[in-house]
Amino acid sequence: MKKILAISLMMLVLFGSLFAGGAQEAAGEQEMVLNIAHPVLQQNWSPLQGGGHAARWQSLMWAAPMYFDADGVLTPYVLSSAEPNDDYTVWTLKVNPDAVFSDGSKITAADIKGTWDLSARPATKHGRIDLFIGGVEGFNDVLVGKAEKITGIVVKDESTLEVTLTGADPIFDQKIATALIAPVKIALAEDATGKEVQEWWTPAKGVVVSGPFMPESMDLDQGILTLVPNPNFFGPKPKLDKIVITTVSDASTATLMLKTGKMDAHTELITPTIIQDLGAGFLNGPPLAKGQQFWIDAHKPPMDDINVRKALIMAVNTEEMGLAAYPDGPFAPATQLLYKVPGVDPDFEPYRYDPEAAKAALAASKYKDARLLPKIMFVGISTPTHEAAAQYIAEQWRQVLGIEGVEMKPAIETYAGPDQKSVQIFRDDTGTRVPDAVSYLMGTIHSQSGNARNKLGGYENAEVDRLLEEASTKGVKDPARIELAQQAQNIFRDEYLYIPYYNDVMSKWAMPWVKNFDKNDDWQVIEPWNVEIDESLRP
Amino acid sequence: MIKKQKHSNSSQDEQQYNLYKDAYTRLVANKLAVVGMIVLFLVFFVAIFGPYITPYDFLDQDLMARNQPPSMKHWFGTDDLGRDILSRVIYGARTAFIVAVSVTFLSLMIGIVLGSLGAYIGGKVDTFVVWLIDVFMSIPSLLLVIVINVSLKPRLVNWMDMQFLATQNEFYRNTILADFVLVFGSLALIKWPKAARIIRGQILSVKKKNYVLAAKALGVPSSRIVKKYVIPNSIGPIIVYISASLGEAMVFESAFSFLGVGVRPPIPSWGNMISDGLRVWQLYPHILAAPALVLAIVTIAYSFLGDGLNDALNPRQWK
Amino acid sequence: MGRYILHRLLRWFPTVVLILLTIYALVFFGAGDPIKLIFLRAPGDVAYDVERVEAIREEAGLNEPFLVQFGNYMWNIMHGNFGNSLVSGRSVNSMLAAAVPVTFQIGLTAIFLLTIFGTLLGVIAALNHNRWLDNLIVGFALITWGVPVFVAGPLVVVVLVLGLGMDVPYGWYGLFNPMVITPLVILSLAPMSLIIRQARAGVLEVLSEDYIRTARSKGLPRRTVVLRHILRPVLTPVVSQVGLLIIATLNNSILIERVFGLPGLGRLTETAIKDSDYPVILAIVFIFSTVVMVSNLLVDISYPLLDPRAAAKKEGDE
Repeated sequence: MKKILAISLMMLVLFGSLFAGGAQEAAGEQEMVLNIAHPVLQQNWSPLQGGGHAARWQSLMWAAPMYFDADGVLTPYVLSSAEPNDDYTVWTLKVNPDAVFSDGSKITAADIKGTWDLSARPATKHGRIDLFIGGVEGFNDVLVGKAEKITGIVVKDESTLEVTLTGADPIFDQKIATALIAPVKIALAEDATGKEVQEWWTPAKGVVVSGPFMPESMDLDQGILTLVPNPNFFGPKPKLDKIVITTVSDASTATLMLKTGKMDAHTELITPTIIQDLGAGFLNGPPLAKGQQFWIDAHKPPMDDINVRKALIMAVNTEEMGLAAYPDGPFAPATQLLYKVPGVDPDFEPYRYDPEAAKAALAASKYKDARLLPKIMFVGISTPTHEAAAQYIAEQWRQVLGIEGVEMKPAIETYAGPDQKSVQIFRDDTGTRVPDAVSYLMGTIHSQSGNARNKLGGYENAEVDRLLEEASTKGVKDPARIELAQQAQNIFRDEYLYIPYYNDVMSKWAMPWVKNFDKNDDWQVIEPWNVEIDESLRP
Repeated sequence: MIKKQKHSNSSQDEQQYNLYKDAYTRLVANKLAVVGMIVLFLVFFVAIFGPYITPYDFLDQDLMARNQPPSMKHWFGTDDLGRDILSRVIYGARTAFIVAVSVTFLSLMIGIVLGSLGAYIGGKVDTFVVWLIDVFMSIPSLLLVIVINVSLKPRLVNWMDMQFLATQNEFYRNTILADFVLVFGSLALIKWPKAARIIRGQILSVKKKNYVLAAKALGVPSSRIVKKYVIPNSIGPIIVYISASLGEAMVFESAFSFLGVGVRPPIPSWGNMISDGLRVWQLYPHILAAPALVLAIVTIAYSFLGDGLNDALNPRQWK
Repeated sequence: MGRYILHRLLRWFPTVVLILLTIYALVFFGAGDPIKLIFLRAPGDVAYDVERVEAIREEAGLNEPFLVQFGNYMWNIMHGNFGNSLVSGRSVNSMLAAAVPVTFQIGLTAIFLLTIFGTLLGVIAALNHNRWLDNLIVGFALITWGVPVFVAGPLVVVVLVLGLGMDVPYGWYGLFNPMVITPLVILSLAPMSLIIRQARAGVLEVLSEDYIRTARSKGLPRRTVVLRHILRPVLTPVVSQVGLLIIATLNNSILIERVFGLPGLGRLTETAIKDSDYPVILAIVFIFSTVVMVSNLLVDISYPLLDPRAAAKKEGDE
């Protein structure tokens, strides 16, 4: 009996090891394939989402109206030109005559208008459409479902579009230079009722794209996309033979795959040991016009007292927080809101780390003592970096000010818009996709911005609004544009409404053997056709 | 006839006493079970007194000494914020025990109430109780816990905030309490059906026994029947249930923390320490090793004890 | 017995409806609908425009009262239509058609394998009671019991890949592909430990019974004694555990599918609950609950079938 059992066990072990040995996959030798690991099980790859992780790869398949190249120069793409009238209220967009879809059909002005109309409608749920064409006449009615078409966009002829804005906007051409509103073939995407056709963006439904690569297959259940070069692409021929995007939701597994060369790039990876695991070059990149801050909602107690806010801010040492959160870089501790854009204020006075002053401020507040403070809640603590930073802050407050009731939560959950009940501090990033200080601050401290309405709990400062609105009408070369923006920033600073955190970089998120993988402030690979792989560097 | 009854009554008592004496003897003869008990008492002792004798406060961050491997200064090393891991593991023992004991107690209470109601009253009430047990046993546990945490936590937290703003009572500011209440509640909701089934089964089988029927026929009051027959007969399975449930609760809690729905940092629980450690274990294995090893040892100790108890109390029965 | 089964099957429908109602209520009144969450969770530059979000929700029918929405879902489910995901717009039926086979194949295979090997190892251990083989097997069982599945998974993966140079076990290539071995093993370890110990305890107990001594003193070969007299009573506790095993495996699938990239129900569950995607959550709860109820039923039926003594005892339970 024992003998039989022993033999069976041995057979099992042998059997198993055979399989283990044979589990090596044969890699494509001749083909240059880029393997991307995608962190989220994405079931929606529609280019009209305007956000989410899938949107980071938009430029692979879709051609933007225009784009910013590696030197920050506005470059024509689907559009050959965008010309304003004298007071910047009417823009004439001309379509590139060479621009075609992957089936050879031309990209027309009707396609562009159709795409932008469809993106604005509620059912499409485009996350950022208002950032790009929000200033167009008639946009708002479509946004809330009162109209189907944006009246301010008019097709003049097959290759000319005339856009009328509600106010002067000298940087409208910069705003539309984004892959997130890339024109699609509207006949395929839109159904008779004005909604997106279900899964129109899959090869199974015959999607046609405008970018350098097109989807060969999309397995949405497993989360594996295979892209091949678009034979009819109107730009330079791509160097890669194939791109495979695979969903790998577990960060340690993804790190392992990158290390062993099974994967080459990642959509967005952040782990506590990423630098030790994958090298500094993986996470590093050019500075990004984006800053992460801890925003304070001054409408919720105890934040309604400016002395409490001062106390909380001055008890935090931003450099030390950086040591706790991202000890090996590559981020830079933040001071002012503006970053990377022309107009960063060299004379800005940052918040001091001053424990004594912090204690004094708390004592001077209406609460007098930490024990009388209501619980303080942090939201947005979603990555190890943020956790470390938040725990550092909580510990500082405990030691310097004696505050004990602090809670952290990852996602924003039910803290909906202006009716959130108790969260006082939101960790979130703000920034801009265009090299413009005014647009940066419009999205950060203007009362109509999402940040002001939600994270800052309905922040409204009439002076800040006035300065920014005036600045936005000034021409790009007008020095007043920057001066007014800096004034607005200073007014905001004196209200003590944020704990500075860090400024971001546009991480490469690719291994050293992937070349020409630069990304711009739009989070897109700038020139996907130039990406290539140096096999000699792969392990 | 009456004489015989009385006689059997007292020998029943004697029998009970001998039963337990036998069980105890068997238990301590089982070496593994004894080891299990010693380990658990140790951990229990540490859980109660530990936080008073830890070298460091588990919240203390030392940003200059992050991710240190074990040394004389920090016996288990430090974590990514420079906190002493030994102190955190000790405090984690307290978390683990609070969770395990509360959950077991809660589920046992619910189980006893519902199980005995159903078994004793019978009829429609019993049918309802059995159906309720079925319903709860059919809900996949992990799913239920995740849903409860994701949905109810914001509500509970909001409510507590409103209370604090209204009453200024510090009790409502205690966020940790909300965490624990939800963890206990969810786990108890999962576990009570098992306890209820055991209780109900025991009561039903005792109800049918001859000496009980005879006692009832003789007009012995119910309370006496319960005290003399039902309770002593049920204690065995209950003890086994308690020991198994304590161990299970701890493992469940660590699984929840791993998923992000358990006790939140900075309160240490072995579960969330393991979850943190898993992220960096290739570079700093000590951060994972300490809580994982302790959890493993405690889980194994529970199963030694549980097996031992089962063997001792039910020498001729299966689980 | 037949009446009992019918009785249980009839109870299935109201039970499932109650469970669905409970879970739906929890999510509806708790986290709320996915549309709000999509916009709330988006990075800072995405505006949370109340009017716009309301328009989107109105359009998706999310402003209807609670019971109306629930009624719609139930009506559709009864027609076999699980609806469309509120987040991705995909048909839930097609999502399930891809996910369910994966989880079931892996789960059932794991249970099958671990029951057989667990019982075998348990019997071997018992037959070698207190010798080194017994201690080895029991030791192995205890160690695997103590390490939770979500710790074992990543540890084993790293050891295999970095230590043995294996390919990273990720993705689903069908049940007969070698990639599936690692997740199968990890999934099986802890439950197998339980089976080993139970089988061992069962055999040890039976070995001391009189009829075994009789059989052996009759001169029957050991093998016959084992097969004929020991296995049947041993199978009873093992089989009674299968129901619990199915439930445990379902739970564990949530924990390991993420690590091994298996596109099954577990991975879908995590995402759906996090995103508050009602149709997907309801569909998953429906499937899980039905599976659990069926396995409970199977266990309750098989127990008295395998052991007449238990059948008599059962009279007292039910």
